Amino acid sequence: MMNLQFMLFILINGLSQGMVLFIIASGLSLVFGVLRVINFAHGSLYMIGAFLAFSLSSLFAGKTLFAFLMLMLLVPPAVAVLGLGLEVSLFRRIYRKEHLLQLLLTYSLVLILDGLTRIIWGGQIRNVPRPEILAGSLDLFGLFFPSYNLFLLIMGPLIAAGLWTLLYRSRAGNYIRAAVTYPEMLGALGVNVPGVMTATFMLGCFLAGLGGVFMSALANIDLSIGMERIIECFAVVVIGGLGSVGGALLGSLIIGVGVAFIQIYFSRMALVFPYVIMALVLIIRPWGLFGKPER
Amino acid sequence: MKKMALRLFGIAAVIIAVMGIVPAEQVRAEEVIKIGWIADMGGIGASFYKSQKEGIEMFIEETNASGGFMGKKLELVIRDSDLKADVGANLARELILNEKCEYLIGPTSSAVALAATKVAKEFKKVIFFHTSNTEKLTTTDFHPYMFQVVPNTGIEGRGIAYFLAQKPYKNYGYIGLDYAYGHDQHDAFKESLLKGNPNAKIVAEVWPKTDEKNYGSYIPTLMAQNPEVIYSSLWGGALSTFIKQAIPYGLFKKTTLSSLYDLDMLRAMGQEMPENLMGYTRCPFYAVNTPQMKVFVDKYHQKFKEWPADWAIMAYDGLLVLKKAVDTAGSTDSEKVSKALDGLKWTSLRGERYIRAEDHMANVGIYVGVSAKDSRYKDFLILKDVVEVPAEKVWMSVDEIKALRAKNPQ
Repeated sequence: MMNLQFMLFILINGLSQGMVLFIIASGLSLVFGVLRVINFAHGSLYMIGAFLAFSLSSLFAGKTLFAFLMLMLLVPPAVAVLGLGLEVSLFRRIYRKEHLLQLLLTYSLVLILDGLTRIIWGGQIRNVPRPEILAGSLDLFGLFFPSYNLFLLIMGPLIAAGLWTLLYRSRAGNYIRAAVTYPEMLGALGVNVPGVMTATFMLGCFLAGLGGVFMSALANIDLSIGMERIIECFAVVVIGGLGSVGGALLGSLIIGVGVAFIQIYFSRMALVFPYVIMALVLIIRPWGLFGKPER
Repeated sequence: MKKMALRLFGIAAVIIAVMGIVPAEQVRAEEVIKIGWIADMGGIGASFYKSQKEGIEMFIEETNASGGFMGKKLELVIRDSDLKADVGANLARELILNEKCEYLIGPTSSAVALAATKVAKEFKKVIFFHTSNTEKLTTTDFHPYMFQVVPNTGIEGRGIAYFLAQKPYKNYGYIGLDYAYGHDQHDAFKESLLKGNPNAKIVAEVWPKTDEKNYGSYIPTLMAQNPEVIYSSLWGGALSTFIKQAIPYGLFKKTTLSSLYDLDMLRAMGQEMPENLMGYTRCPFYAVNTPQMKVFVDKYHQKFKEWPADWAIMAYDGLLVLKKAVDTAGSTDSEKVSKALDGLKWTSLRGERYIRAEDHMANVGIYVGVSAKDSRYKDFLILKDVVEVPAEKVWMSVDEIKALRAKNPQ
């Protein structure tokens, strides 16, 4: 059981899980970093993304790569538009309010969005087929790896790189980062700060939707996936540092790979592992691995 | 003058109408008998709920059309326990005390069922279980007001072991969720497998957590020990996710997977479900060939435009028992109905069945078969070559139950 093939299996599985986790958690982290809102409803938005992927995939009714790419192109913007509505109507009003109020709002949104999801899609377990070309396995040096997991291993870094470019190499990114540290100064320079905040929130929702698309073909989806995932995402965000995308990547990979190996040797501990790491980080470096101490 | 007469006529009409309504209301209240359902509507309970609701509503509609229970119309009151035991207990109390329900219908979750059955016992109201199937309900937590129409965990675990023990398999794998149900199934399965086939060995066991969405570590761990067959107590979404993720690893090229292939799970898998996996189900509409099942299935399909899942059939079946018990007792009173339950024979959708007097467990077995495509059903695979493992072969004997109860007094 200790052989190399087996270890590689577990490593690739852990990394690909970490990638999905990263895509979702980075959105949560970004929203917190800029807007200072802990968005409990992020998991519900991710779930809605997964269910939208289900509806669209049955519309395309094909298991082609093209159909899957269409899901990747259409679903995240749709969730972002939903985010736009939520930001303008609700979130905008609570940015400078106390955390308790924010929690109350985002938690009640969880209940509302979950209820809506149940009304629209019903409670059945849904399955989004993997595209034909990714459904099988890939023969690497005589070892068979599920192609879809390898696909996630490619998509994850691409998305991370895209996010990094957006945040650190573009004007929009400059605004977003400036809004984190000096929102007043940014406003004084004539930048539409509320607009930047809306855009950031939409970006967070976009990532939640994208995570939903990837997850929908990885496992079956049902009404419980949002709540399950959001708690893991909180652990990731705390480990990586609130607001840090790089930290979210590192945190996701630590949890993805860590859980994958722990499942084999101490499967009882798999459930608590992310929280143990989170607690350790909070003790040793409360602002997270990549975060900065609060001013 | 004419105007005056018209006005008087109008007043008279109003008075008659009011008088007519009031007594009618009173009569209505007396003629209605309420059934309270502690349902699990959310999360993993949602797909079960939909099917159960359709089965229950169909029964109530039919029964009310033909005069209800002893001339009293049935009225369903539904509450959501959200898979939480304490909530379920409170709701059961509320249904009995505030809503004045005479009978209760059980939930999906076994934990909620165990909490609700205690309340039914306290208030001496009949409750039945159609989906939640922990064996405790009819053994240690038994009381005479309950009955069970779903094969319980013992019948399932021992039933599939009984079946597999007759096959030449030697090396078994086991995957189960790490909570009470997973461990109960494992113990029941292992014990009777070894009894039936002393050469069998469980070479690999894995215990994922209950909300696991990634079996990528467990699949290679199982495969490393080369089991010929894997028995799984996964169900619903967990099972279909496991199968989906195991396909690209090539698990099913060498190994068969024996598990609960209920209709909702098969529908979720769709055409992705591998063929030739040997599994079981609790109540398959497509394999039970009784005239009453055929009538039920046709009607259900016409009404809801879909095929009835196991949960719909068993919920309906439980209500058939209730109706028979009411008719036998000649009363709708829970106390009398519960007495009529002992040894009650009824015509189940599954054929002639009875409620065993000592534990109120219906003699319902499991149905074992092999997954296969069928041209009649485009959206899902079914089990073919289905055989029933009769409950009598694998359920706990009355002596065993008595011993168990003596050890765990309530």
